[in-house]
Amino acid sequence: MDDLAFKQAAALSFGVELELQLVNTRDCDLTRGASDLLAVVERKPHPGDIKPEITESMIELSTSIHTRHGELLAELRQIRDAVLAGADRLNIGVAGGGAHPFQHWSQRKIFESPRFKHLSDLYGYLAKQFTIFGQHVHIGCPSGDEALYLLHSMSRYVPHFIALSAASPYYQGVDTAFDSSRLNSVFAFPLSGRAPFVRRWEEFQAYFARMQGFGIVEDMKDFYWDIRPKPEYGTIEIRVCDTPVTVERAAALAAYAQALARYLLVERPHPLSEEVYHVYSYNRFQACRFGLEGEFADPHTQEKRSLREDIIATLDALAVHARELDAEEGLDEISDCVRTSGNDARWMREVYAKSHSLPDLVWRQAERWRGERT
Amino acid sequence: MSELFFLPKWPVLADQVPWYAVLLLAALLAGEAVWRLRLPRVLGWILAGIALGPSGFDILDHTALGGLRGLLEIAVGLILFELGQRLDMRWLQRNPWLLATSVLESSLGFAAIFAVLHLIGAKPLLAATAAAIGIATGPAVVLTLVKQLRAQGQVSERMLALTALNNAYAFVLWSVLFAWLHAEYRGGWVAASAHPLYLIFGSLALAALLAAVTLALLTVLGRRTDAQFVCLIALVVIAVSAASLLKLSVVLTLLGYGTLTRAFDRDRRFVSLDFGRTGQILVMLLFGITAAGLDLNLLPSGAVAGAALIAARYAGKTLGIFALARPSGLALRKASLLSLGLMPMSGVALIMARETSAIYPELGPALVTVVLSAIVMLELLGPLLAHFAIVRAGEAAEES
Repeated sequence: MDDLAFKQAAALSFGVELELQLVNTRDCDLTRGASDLLAVVERKPHPGDIKPEITESMIELSTSIHTRHGELLAELRQIRDAVLAGADRLNIGVAGGGAHPFQHWSQRKIFESPRFKHLSDLYGYLAKQFTIFGQHVHIGCPSGDEALYLLHSMSRYVPHFIALSAASPYYQGVDTAFDSSRLNSVFAFPLSGRAPFVRRWEEFQAYFARMQGFGIVEDMKDFYWDIRPKPEYGTIEIRVCDTPVTVERAAALAAYAQALARYLLVERPHPLSEEVYHVYSYNRFQACRFGLEGEFADPHTQEKRSLREDIIATLDALAVHARELDAEEGLDEISDCVRTSGNDARWMREVYAKSHSLPDLVWRQAERWRGERT
Repeated sequence: MSELFFLPKWPVLADQVPWYAVLLLAALLAGEAVWRLRLPRVLGWILAGIALGPSGFDILDHTALGGLRGLLEIAVGLILFELGQRLDMRWLQRNPWLLATSVLESSLGFAAIFAVLHLIGAKPLLAATAAAIGIATGPAVVLTLVKQLRAQGQVSERMLALTALNNAYAFVLWSVLFAWLHAEYRGGWVAASAHPLYLIFGSLALAALLAAVTLALLTVLGRRTDAQFVCLIALVVIAVSAASLLKLSVVLTLLGYGTLTRAFDRDRRFVSLDFGRTGQILVMLLFGITAAGLDLNLLPSGAVAGAALIAARYAGKTLGIFALARPSGLALRKASLLSLGLMPMSGVALIMARETSAIYPELGPALVTVVLSAIVMLELLGPLLAHFAIVRAGEAAEES
């Protein structure tokens, strides 16, 4: 751990972490209930892991390691049901989505733990504004070098994950015009952005040692990068996704990441080059702001097209890999999302257009999280 | 005839001074003062009332405040409606142990108070009437504390839910026992069984009607908070007077009105309701005036027996909450805090105790002294305990 040794993981194994909102059932504002809920949920055995997060209005659930989309989805459903069983006893609503539409950040309370206390002292109001909810996808890598290869070649596709998962159009009571407003909160942190362009694990270790030497970071957790290596798991972690409104979408995004990783590792379609980062911020902004309608500047072909077109083209390239991985069902959901139904941000705007009530929107998010179609 | 005709006559008559405004100022200042000591503002409002009442400087009396009776009824109505709103029927469905906890804590609380009063020598029917009132937790205290502390969590939520339920039980039971006490059931078993049924189902039917009317109006008014606020004030006043006219239970009607408005509201038309500044003034007056009616002179003689009564009530409620804490999903630490949170006594208890003793002088000064002493002590102690429970549970917002 000290020398940041990269633990070998089964290549293309994967797992998911989801941060969830806890809301009250009266006016659907965020509520402080994480400690109470965890105490009840932990009394019964359940698969996966359910943990507190930085504020009392948030919990994080994580799956175990999987190789197949179907198993991952089944486990996610079980964990979801375990959380809901506890939440129902305490009258706490649980919802997906990348941000709470109308909560006021000053009302948040930091979960009692030394690490969260430290973050709160260091970042002040940013820590409380960090009440945003993301999905993290871990992809297993056989070595540190392979992890860095995958990380940099995956960077081209970061806008895909942003646009497909985007579920935070409303923030602090207003329509932000963004499909994913959540990432704007992440950018405020000094250690956000992307990992340095190094290809070999020793180089990365040297970089990390330097940062540690300055006292800028203590461990990898202090980096809020879009994709970051997680040496103690032997994975890279894609962190740009908003928590989707359903577990089905969450599992599908993980399947997309897994198939993409296989495509990149097996076919090696693009030579690794730092040029991928020249258009990185632009593409990322387009994805956050316009979702699937955003523009995409292809760093390898120098062409411009819509994100939707680029994802559809990528899905074609992934088809053969999805078959190998048994991930077709997951990619079908992605295909449906990009071709017809749209992302969760679109669904949220449609719901709001009908009721003009943000509490009502949160209520419907909670219903959908439960698996009820509305 | 005087050249100084424009000067007021001296002395100014006391009944021309708006004493409620003086009370309001005193309550405000006392509230801020105790807040600096990290105590609940409610305590300051109560102390201001005592200080200005007959036990203090004696400048507040019933005649001075006579005109406010209607206003205070609205305050009580608003509080009960809002408390009813905090009771979520869906929660009781999903967690029936919570309903079981409520029945158990009320029953055991009743039994404990009854036992103590019986030991002191009260006749069974009288002891039962007093015990019925005793199971109710003070709605105004609990609701005001939760709102002022912006508290969220299991202790706060359950405190509100159990308070709504034990008030519903208490006042239905009290109405029945009071009628019994008056020997109004001479007609026999028909009257004796029809009366509680009329109270319960009549009040709930009226509540359901009001809830349906409210939601129908809200479809027209939309989700604007100010429009909803005005609409609700009017309807709550109508609800209070309708319940009194029909000789139904005002408490059950208003609680049920709040609860059913929430339960029927499938499209969530009702925006979160905060009675805000207007409500705040009414609640401050309510606390101050209730406190002004407390008779501190009874304390020296009734303190010991009163304390025994409080201890029994606490023991009964605590036992009920602990017995079902685990199945209802409450940690034992939080169960112990919840038990403290239910300690405040309803201000209405004071009025009822006084009414009962006025009608029944033969109750003997001893019993009256004991009951009123317990009320006085809980009036001061209850808010402190409930405040402590919420803060200790870590459910209060950080500042404020």
